[in-house]
Amino acid sequence: MTEAKQIAGPPATLVEPIDMSQLDSNFRDEIRSMPNGEELAACFACSTCTAACPIANQWKYKPHQLIRMILLGMRSEVLNSKEIWECLTCFQCQERCPQKVRITDILFDCKNLAADEGKVPEKILALAKELIDKGQLYVVTADWEREDLGLQPAVPGLSTDGIKQILRETRTGKLAGGGT
Amino acid sequence: MPMYNLYMGCSVPANYPNYEAAVMKVGEALGMEFEYMTDVACCGSPNLRSIDYFGWLVVNGRTLAIAEKNGHDIVTPCNGCFGSLKDVQHHLKHDEKDRSRVNKELKKMGLEFRGTVKVRHVIEALYTDIGIEEIQRKITRPLDGVGISIHYGCHLLRPDDVTEFKPEMLDALVRATGAKVVEYPLWKQCCGATVLPVNEPLAIRLARDKIRSMKEAGAEFATVVCPACGNQLDLQQVGLKDSYGEVYDLPVLLYPQILALALGINEDAIGLRMNRVPADSILPHLKG
Ligand code: SF4
Ligand code: SF4
Repeated sequence: MTEAKQIAGPPATLVEPIDMSQLDSNFRDEIRSMPNGEELAACFACSTCTAACPIANQWKYKPHQLIRMILLGMRSEVLNSKEIWECLTCFQCQERCPQKVRITDILFDCKNLAADEGKVPEKILALAKELIDKGQLYVVTADWEREDLGLQPAVPGLSTDGIKQILRETRTGKLAGGGT
Repeated sequence: MPMYNLYMGCSVPANYPNYEAAVMKVGEALGMEFEYMTDVACCGSPNLRSIDYFGWLVVNGRTLAIAEKNGHDIVTPCNGCFGSLKDVQHHLKHDEKDRSRVNKELKKMGLEFRGTVKVRHVIEALYTDIGIEEIQRKITRPLDGVGISIHYGCHLLRPDDVTEFKPEMLDALVRATGAKVVEYPLWKQCCGATVLPVNEPLAIRLARDKIRSMKEAGAEFATVVCPACGNQLDLQQVGLKDSYGEVYDLPVLLYPQILALALGINEDAIGLRMNRVPADSILPHLKG
C-alpha cells in the first residue's frame, strides 16, 4: 500500500555543493606553516574531535568539518565563522584525536589569520585595548580586601609598562589603534 | 627549603585575594619559600594568543627570561597563566625560528630566553616537592570524609604533553585533607570561562551543567585551582537563580583554602567569607 514518494529537488543527503572556484588551495599550507599546524593533513575524518567537543552540537561547522574545510581551502568560510571564536580552547578534541592533529592549536592559528584581517569580535578587541592601555586584564579595585588579608595593596611586582611596550609594536597595537 | 619565583598574574590579586592569601599561608606552613616575581607582565590570557600569537610569545618569553636570572622555578596559582607560560615555554623550546625572533625582541630589554627554568602550578609543586606524606603529617584538623568534587580546569590538564599535569595529583591532595573525592560525569568538561566575551549565555550554561553534574553526583563542596574557573563555578552560580531559576548552594573553595583549614589556619586568614556561595559550612567538617 505504500507508494514511493516522489521527492522534488536534490536528495536530502546532498549538502550544499562546494563551489570549486571559491577555494583557496594555499590555505592548507598557510595553516601547516603556523604553530602546531604540521599534522593537519593527517586527519582521516573520523569525527572523534566532534564527539569530544562539548559545544559542537550547537555549531553549524563541527570541529572535524572545520579541519576538512581547511584542507579543502575554504578560507573565507573558516576565517569568518563564529565557531573559531566560540571555541572554548578546552583541548578536548586535540586530546582525543587519534591522528595527533592539534585541532585547538589550529583554531588558534585561524583566529590569528582572522585577526590579521582585522576580524576580531568586539569584546575581544576591547580586551586588546585593555592590555595596551592598562597593561593588564584585571585591576585591583578592592585594596582594603587585600590589606585585611595581610597582602600588599597593589599587585606585587606587576609591571604594566613592559607588556604595553611590547604589544604596541605587534598586532595588538594595530588592532587597538596604536594605544594611548 | 624550596625557593620559587611566584607569578601571581593579574586575576588572582584583583579578584581572588582569598586565593592568594591561602597560597601564602600554606606555603608558610609547609616551608615553601615564595618570592613574588618583580617587573613581570600579565600573561595576556588565551585571548592574546588568539589575536596576536607573536606578541603573546614575547610577553611570556620575557617573564620566563626574568625567572631564568635567578634560576628558580616559576609557580603560579592561575591555570590561565600556567597555560600561557607553559605553552610558550614548550613552543620556544621546540621552534628555533620563533625562539630567535623572540630573543631578538628580548635582547632589546637585556634579556634572553634559554628555557632553563620550569613552569609549575602551585598544586603540582605541593604534590611533588612537599608530598602527600609530609602534608598529612602537618595536618591537625582533618576533614571528616565530606564529599568534594574537583574541577581541574582545561589549561591545567590539556594538552598533556605541554602541561605535564596528572589529575591524580589533585585527587591525592584533596584526599590528604581527609575529604572524599566525589567523581562526576562532566569532570573533564570546561567551565566556559573562555567563551564569556563572545557568547555569555553559552558560558553560563556550561558552568551550570558542571555545577549540576557535581551536585547530582552527591558533592557537598567543590574545589577549583584557577580564578577564571572560580568565577564560573562560584560567582556565576549566584546568578543561576535568575537565569535558570535554579539554586544549587554548592560552596566552591580554592584548594589551598581547604588545605589551610586542615592545617589549622584560621578561616579569616584565608578570606573564607569572600567566597561568593557561603562556604563556612565546611567548618563543622573539620575534626579536632
Ligand atoms: S579526531 Fe583528528 S583525525 Fe579525526 S576528524 Fe578530528 S582532526 Fe580528523
Ligand atoms: S577546544 Fe574548541 S573545538 Fe576543541 S573540543 Fe574544545 S570547544 Fe570544541
